[in-house]
Amino acid sequence: MSDKYPESSGRRRFVKGVVGSAALAGAGTAGTAVLESVTNPTGSGGGQTNYFAVENTAGPAPRGMPMVPIEIDDNGDIKGVFPDVKEVETETGGTKKQARMELGGIEYTPNWYQYCGVQGYGGLRPDYDGDNYFRFSGAGYSWQPSGGKVNIDEFDDYDTWENDYGDAGIGKPAKATWRSQNTDNTIPILIIRSPVLEDRVESAEGEVAEWLEAATDQGVMAIVNKCTHFCCAPQGFRTSNYEGAEDKIYCQCHQSIYDPFSIVKKSFVAFARPEN
Amino acid sequence: MSDDQPTDEDARTDGTGIVSPDDETPTWRERKERTTGLSRLTYEYFERSRREDQDLRQESDYVERDVLAFPTWPHELVRNLAITSFFVGMILFLGATLPPHLGQPANPSTTPAVILPDWYLYWSFGLLKLSALNPELAILGGQKLLADRTFGVLANVVVVGFIAIVPFLNKGSARRPVEQPFWASVGVMGVVFAFTISAYSAKTHLPLNPHLSFDLAFLIPPMAGAVAYAILKTMREGYMYDLNKRYYKLRPPK
Repeated sequence: MSDKYPESSGRRRFVKGVVGSAALAGAGTAGTAVLESVTNPTGSGGGQTNYFAVENTAGPAPRGMPMVPIEIDDNGDIKGVFPDVKEVETETGGTKKQARMELGGIEYTPNWYQYCGVQGYGGLRPDYDGDNYFRFSGAGYSWQPSGGKVNIDEFDDYDTWENDYGDAGIGKPAKATWRSQNTDNTIPILIIRSPVLEDRVESAEGEVAEWLEAATDQGVMAIVNKCTHFCCAPQGFRTSNYEGAEDKIYCQCHQSIYDPFSIVKKSFVAFARPEN
Repeated sequence: MSDDQPTDEDARTDGTGIVSPDDETPTWRERKERTTGLSRLTYEYFERSRREDQDLRQESDYVERDVLAFPTWPHELVRNLAITSFFVGMILFLGATLPPHLGQPANPSTTPAVILPDWYLYWSFGLLKLSALNPELAILGGQKLLADRTFGVLANVVVVGFIAIVPFLNKGSARRPVEQPFWASVGVMGVVFAFTISAYSAKTHLPLNPHLSFDLAFLIPPMAGAVAYAILKTMREGYMYDLNKRYYKLRPPK
């Protein structure tokens, strides 16, 4: 290193200081920009959300999995209710589509399902291009057909159906997808038709009764099958004898157990739907 | 030197020579046929090498050097290159013959029925499931100080930390378990605990009550350690006697 300036002039120290502070300022600016882009929600929806859930009775899951209100059409096909989509004005003057409705005494929005990455699924976008019918996807219980719409006729034996787990007649489950045609990701749905649920709809009181009245039909209920703990898709209803899970919903990852016949009102902070 | 002692000029034929002259080195058959046995042979071997070393040092052109070792090039590098080439060749060979396995991309909408890591990580996976040991503190109103997942990670740190300090607690001078029954039984306990905690990690697939398998995971290792300690302690006297017998045969006390 040849340095024309003598050490005593302090020039090297001065140049080092200038360069160092410039580098530090640059790194700080870049870091702030990254932090801004990561933490600033650029999407829509999200925030504090109240929803009706199947109760988490055991295991590490923080809260129950959200229910999906259902309807059964004249043909017997079962579909999930998606909140009504309206055009609303944004703060900047433009318009955007917003899904929101009052259902069973609660504000029902896609926020209910915006956790565990589902917030990025195409099916949760208000402008999703497709219908709301539940469809079999090939995976699931052994009795299921490999595809097509889920029809109530397939649950005719719901009060006698049995498999290796739980008592006969506590309900017949199915796994399906919802609003997942021509999307990158499929929303996993667990459908249960059960005489126990019919009894619960009769005996429930208060806001849960109002909700169940609106969200279930003929003993059929639907749940977004995404464990609130670490986002696994649980094995489902009647899939394990572990720790009394034979008549409940069992998640094989960390042994969370949900009771589908105990409906509770829960709240959580939903993620925003990413814009792109 | 008395008269009946053979002189250096006479070749001794009775097999008692300590260092044989080069042209009279006995064959291995001859050595085996001697009845003095292994101790004599060992003694001769070391004496012979000591003598050769001494001769070398007494030669006029012998120069004492500070460092006596193999040079890096070519000795070390040629050997290392040969080993490296072998393993690189094996990798290329296996890469060429076995088709690469690329599974389906992960599908977040389905989860496999069996959730377990590779078998050699079962012990660590079991340590993540120690939520039953995480105390609910009365001072926090029955709350846990640590989340169960943090507690599980800390359990891994504790176990790995203990294994790391064992070499500082015990230098490992014993060559056989009987020499240090205590430390041997600590080792037995650790190995058995690795197996029981591995079994506990698969508790959902065991035909046991999960609470029972949890209790067994912590009860079996100390029991195995105690049994190992008792056995080794009992064996020790006889074993050490046998060892000493061999040792003093080889090197008789002065």
